[in-house]
Parts: sequence; C-alpha cells; structure tokens
Amino acid sequence: MIDKFKAAFREESYELLSQLEDTLLELESQPRNGELINAAFRAMHTVKGSSAMFGFETISKFTHEVETVLDQCRAGTLPITKDFIGLTLKARDHLRRLLEFEEPPPREVVADGETILARYRDYVATGAGLKPAPKVQDAAVTGEGATAPESTLQAQEGPSGPGPAAHESGLSTYRVFWKPKPEIFLDGTRVLSLVEELVGLGEAAVYPHTEDIPPLEAIDPERCYCFWDVVLTTQKTENDIRDVFIFVEDRSELRIERLAEAFLDEEGRAKRLGEILVERGVVSPESLREALGSQKRLGEVLVEKRVASKAEIDSALVEQEHLKKVQERSDPAAGSIRVASEKLDALVDLVGELVTLQARLSRTSFDLQDGPLASISEQFERLISQLRDNTMSIRMLPIGSTFNKFRRVVRDLSLELGKEAELVTEGAETELDKTVIEKLGDPLVHIIRNSLDHGIEKPSAREAAGKAPKGRILLSARHSGAYVLIQVADDGRGLDRDAIYQKAVERGLLAPGQEVADDELFLLIFAPGFSTAKVVSAVSGRGVGMDVVKREIDSLGGSVSLSSEPGRGTTITLKIPLTLAIIEGLLVRIAEEFYVIPLSSVDGCIEIRRSELASYGERRILSYRDELVPFVSLRESFETAGEEPEIEQIVIANSQECRVGFVVDQVVGDYQTVIKPLGRMFKDVEGVSGATILGDGTVALILDVNRLALAAQRDGAKRAARGGER
Amino acid sequence: MPTSKAETQGIVNLSGVLYTDRAAALKKELEEALAGSGPVLVSLSLVEDIDLACLQVLYAARRSAKALGREFHFVGSIPSRLCKRLCAAGFLRGHPERTEDIEAGLVEF
Repeated sequence: MIDKFKAAFREESYELLSQLEDTLLELESQPRNGELINAAFRAMHTVKGSSAMFGFETISKFTHEVETVLDQCRAGTLPITKDFIGLTLKARDHLRRLLEFEEPPPREVVADGETILARYRDYVATGAGLKPAPKVQDAAVTGEGATAPESTLQAQEGPSGPGPAAHESGLSTYRVFWKPKPEIFLDGTRVLSLVEELVGLGEAAVYPHTEDIPPLEAIDPERCYCFWDVVLTTQKTENDIRDVFIFVEDRSELRIERLAEAFLDEEGRAKRLGEILVERGVVSPESLREALGSQKRLGEVLVEKRVASKAEIDSALVEQEHLKKVQERSDPAAGSIRVASEKLDALVDLVGELVTLQARLSRTSFDLQDGPLASISEQFERLISQLRDNTMSIRMLPIGSTFNKFRRVVRDLSLELGKEAELVTEGAETELDKTVIEKLGDPLVHIIRNSLDHGIEKPSAREAAGKAPKGRILLSARHSGAYVLIQVADDGRGLDRDAIYQKAVERGLLAPGQEVADDELFLLIFAPGFSTAKVVSAVSGRGVGMDVVKREIDSLGGSVSLSSEPGRGTTITLKIPLTLAIIEGLLVRIAEEFYVIPLSSVDGCIEIRRSELASYGERRILSYRDELVPFVSLRESFETAGEEPEIEQIVIANSQECRVGFVVDQVVGDYQTVIKPLGRMFKDVEGVSGATILGDGTVALILDVNRLALAAQRDGAKRAARGGER
Repeated sequence: MPTSKAETQGIVNLSGVLYTDRAAALKKELEEALAGSGPVLVSLSLVEDIDLACLQVLYAARRSAKALGREFHFVGSIPSRLCKRLCAAGFLRGHPERTEDIEAGLVEF
C-alpha cells in the first residue's frame, strides 16, 4: 500500500517540479513579481512536506534549505538574480533526480545536492551583504526600488507592472460595491454606462440591487434607487477599477476589496454561500451557525429569519458561481480525476477491439440479410462510433504541456552559446493524441537546438545586421483538418543556400550545376549526415539530428517542410496526424487482398477501363482536375498475382510532396481503421505503415501514402529515362 | 413625438433614447396606462438606448401593476443593443432573444 502512496507522491512531485520550472522561468523575466516568488516557495514547501511524510529524508532536508532561501527572497532580504534562477533550476533538476531513488540515494547524488546547497550558502552570504532588495510587493505598488542592485534582474513588465494584486496568471478577483447617491442623475451621469465600463475591465458577475425601487406612484423618476455588487476577475489593478468612478466618487459609495487568491476552502471546494455572506458582513458567524442547524437550504433559512434579504442571498450566489467558474478555468484539474496512462491505453485497445468486432457484426448482418439484426448492428455502430470519439478525446492533451520544457532548453542553450534568445509560443491549447505528443518531444528539441545554434546569431552580429540583440524563436501549433501543424520559426540568419548546394554536390546528392528549387534544396538538410557547419560543437554540426527528426516525423505519419529567407530566418513546419490509434480509412481491394488508404489523404476516385489504362503505356501520368498526376499500380507495387478487372479504380491521394494516383481493383468504401503496428519484422517494408483487422478477421495493410508517392516519382523518372533511351 | 400612447388604453409604445430627461414623462405615461383596466403592454421595439432612470420607472410600474393584480408585459421585439446594456449592468441573465424570455429574465422585475 505504501508503495502506491509513494508512487502518487512521486507523480505529484514531478508535476510540482514541472510547474516550478515554469514559475522560475517566468520569474527570470519578472523578478519582482511577488506572486511568482510565492508560487515557487509554495511548490518547494509542498514537496518538502510530502517527502517528509513518505520518508524521503534527503529530499525533505534539501527542500528545507532551498525553501529557507526562497523565504528570504520572499521577504525581500535577498535579490533575485539570473544566477539565483539558474541555481534554483539546478536545485529543481536535482530534486527530480532524487525522486528516482529510494531512500537513501547514492552518495554521489547526495554530494551533488551538497554542492548546490553550498552555492546557495555563498549566495546568501554575498546577497546578505547587498543593500536589502525592496520588498517585492511594495516595490510593485509604489514603483520604488526601480533602481535595484546591479546584480538584480530588471523587471521586464510593461510600465504599470503586474500590480499588487497580480495573480500567477496575472488575474485578480475583486469584489466591488457601488452605490450611487440618489441625486446622481441630476448632472446627467449615465449610470448604466459606468457599470458597463466596469464590466469591460474583465470577466464579471454583476448583481443589481433593485429592492429599493418603490412602486410607480411613489417613485421620484430623477432619483437613483439601485446599487451594485460586482465580482470582477481582471488583470487590472484596484486603481484602474477606481478610475472608472473617478468623476462620481464624491457622489457614490465605492468599496473595492481584493479577494484572497484562493477562493477555494482548505479542502479545495468552492467557497460556500455562508462563507461569502460572512465575508460580506451580511450575516454574523453566530447567525450562520444557527441557520446551518436547520434542514432547509441556508438561503431560505436566512431570509425567513430576516437575517439576510433575498437580494443579498442572490447576490452572494452570483459571486459563488463566478468564483467557481474562474477557479475551474485557472485550474483545469479541478473536477477531473487522475488516471494512469496505461489504463487509458488499455481502454483504447479495448475500443479498438470493439470497432473490429462491430465491423464483423455489420458484415454478418449484411450476409444474413436479417432486418432486426441489421437494425441492432446500425445502432451498435452509432454507439461504437461515439465511444471511439469520446475515448480518443480523453487521450487528447494540449500540446502546451510539451512547449513548456522547450523554454528551459532555449534558456540553458542560449546561455551556453553566449546568445540571447526568447521562445514565444502560440496555440499551446491545440490538442493532440497523447502518444503523438510523447513522440514529438525529441524532434522538436533537435529543431529548436538547431535554430539556436545555426539560426540565431550572436547579439553583436544581430545588431550589426540591424536586428534586436535578442533573437526570437516562435513555436506554434494549430489544427489543419486531421492534422496539426507545428512550426518552429526563428528570426536568425536563414539557411545558406550556397553552402547547402555545395555540400549537396560534394555528397553526390546533386550534379554540379543542377538546377534545384529552394524548398527542394533546403529539404536536403534532413539527409543523414548532412551538415554545413564548419565546426562541430557539443550542440550540433555532426549532421546527426535533423535526419532523425525526419525519420521520427515520418514514423508518425507526418511530414516536414521548410522555408528560409537569408537574414530573415527559417521556418520548419511539421504536419502531424491528430491520432495514431484509430483513423478513418478508405478500404480498397486488389485481387483477394485489402488495403486501407488514410481518408484524410484521399482527394478523389476515378473509374478507368483496363484498355484505357494500358494505353498510357510507360507514361503513367493522367490528367486530374487540370493537373498532371502520376499514378502507380498497387498490384505491381505489391506483386499481387491475378487478373485485373475490366474496370479499375484510381484513388487520387495527396502526399507530402505531390498528388499521386493508386490503381486498385475496387474501392470498397470508408472504414474505421484501428491501427495495429506491424512489428519489428516488417518495420522496414516500404509503402506500408501498419495493419488493421477487418470484420471477417482478415488483415488489411495500411498504406504509407508519402512513401508510395516517392516511389512512384522515382519509378516515373526511371520510366521517363527508359522512354528517352528508346 | 418619440413616445406615443396607442388609442387602446394600456399599450405604451416607446422609442428613441430613454435617458433621465424622459423619466418623468415615462412615469406619467405608465400611470395613465395603469389607470385603465386591461393589461399594460409596453413596446420597446423602437427604443435606441435606455439608462437607469427610465429602467427604474419600468420596474416601478411593473411592481405597481403586480400590486394591483394587473398584467404588465413587454410586446414586440427588444433591440439587441438594449439587451446588451441590460446584460452588462446585470439586469438580464444569459442572453435571451425572445421578448417573453427577456421579460422573465430581468432580475427581480
């Protein structure tokens, strides 16, 4: 049992350390953001507490020391420098390493921890000698301390900074009470416009109190009877909120209260109605306790006992609802459960089996021509299809979870290379299958390292070229049909066309003087062993890496493209399928064998007579929608015996490089394809990316459209050459 | 005349911008409508904008109607600009489109 708890502790600690890494990287650019320091402190504190609980003594002692230093930063007695961030990132890495061992960890690992702690002690000793840094939050409030000690990082926020109430996400929640004086209408003040302006500052829940509006006979139409309770979640500061009412402050009662950053109680539940009412001063704790003793709903009891008005209860409920919504958004984990990924994989496998079984049922019901059975089969098919989509959606994760680790790569590597670079991410919320995300990590690291090493110039070179000294790498993701496009774009020097051309000629990939388009030439950097770097560094230059990227992306069923402009930068685009488990496919037949072509690649189908096909002879190019498209006979490619039918079909598919036609005997129709790997024995078979089991139990191979298209192009070139010889 | 009272007692057609300067006139008009015996029907279809003073008068009229046991309803469509304003100020929850839903959705109306 204890092992189970330990495993849970490790998992949670990995997550906390990952968050800590993000926080520290953010802190590096906002060193006076008190909330970020608090977040780092909290992460360390939680790891310390849990590690002690589960007997991880070494971790507990180590975190205790780091936590003490962080506390000094929090109190403002130690500055936060780039060195401090670097050291704390190292401490974080060390903790991650410690988590891999049982207690006690190997001596050399403990010794590494001691080295880190010694550096902290040095830092404290030197840092303590510095003029005390301004207290983080005060500095932000007053703007004082803008001239921090030289070694202290300069905040890089906008002129107003994050403000005193900035949350980790930059958001804060305020409770605003605004009661205009009755005569406010007299100078033409447009009250509703002011409320609208306030609401425009962020996300708000508004409760207008109308209870004081008298009946028509008693109303003074020029007197204001309403007032408002507003709960506002915003990036703006209290002063910004106050500014909305700047011209009516003397004619109204305005109270602004920032709510504690956690609106959850200690058990992680949204605040209860009673708590909000007590906080608002509507009811006393004693009245609340008394009311809670009743079996009825709290609000009803309080109204019945005249402790609170209905409007006060409704207003508090509006606040509760708002806080719940904001909390859920800032913490997507709320309302979710943690499931081991193996269980999820097992579920997907089972759904795959069900899909296969359903295909068998459909087939059987069709063969039997049984009405009731066909009806059950159709209903079953609909349910399975929903189950499949739901299960696959559970495995979808936002790609941002991988993006975060690249920030650290960029930080560390730019320091190592003496360059300045920032990683900007876009589309972090784009979702992809978990398996695909896992496999994308390494290729993206290669590409980003390459961008930093070869693309981004040193600050002096950038300035000489009229660029900002700090380079920029944009990592973005977006959906495009059944694919996700991931781009890594740098604003560096761009690819050296001449050097690549020369290298390609040297390596025999191009004939001297051969004309080649830029995009084709640039793709050669993905060839094995291809590097134009004159110096081999620890980072890159051996020509190993980009070919691995290409191979990995190919293995995911994706493709790579590249564009570059001299002096402006390079953009590498990865086109990745959304999932690797179940796809929509087009089932085709050649003789007695079935194949699946991924439906996302299929552009159309053409029917063609055998005699007409024969007339193409060696020139296997047909005209399709005013475009010349090469085609390939799958019967020939897979050396399938048997007679071709009188009428054949050509499936036109879009590959990475071009459109290509596949000649088949019959197009059976669309087919939900559960992808099964081919296993080691067949992994090198060209033109096939996997297999699937059909309803009658037979195996159909899934075609690798990209590879087959390349083969078709190669064949086409050979045939053309043969034609030329004749 | 931006505001007109239909011949049938109890129907009030409002139009233009309903700011503070028109609140007193609106009160009078609604009082006259309530003086009748049938239901009070208010059309906001031609209203371009409204501020709190007039909105309060509508609330007051509705409360009086209720006290008198009289029906008080909005008729015709309600311009989306108006709905937006009522939503932003918290008087209207959600973003209902149908007039009866808007009427039912007004906080404590």
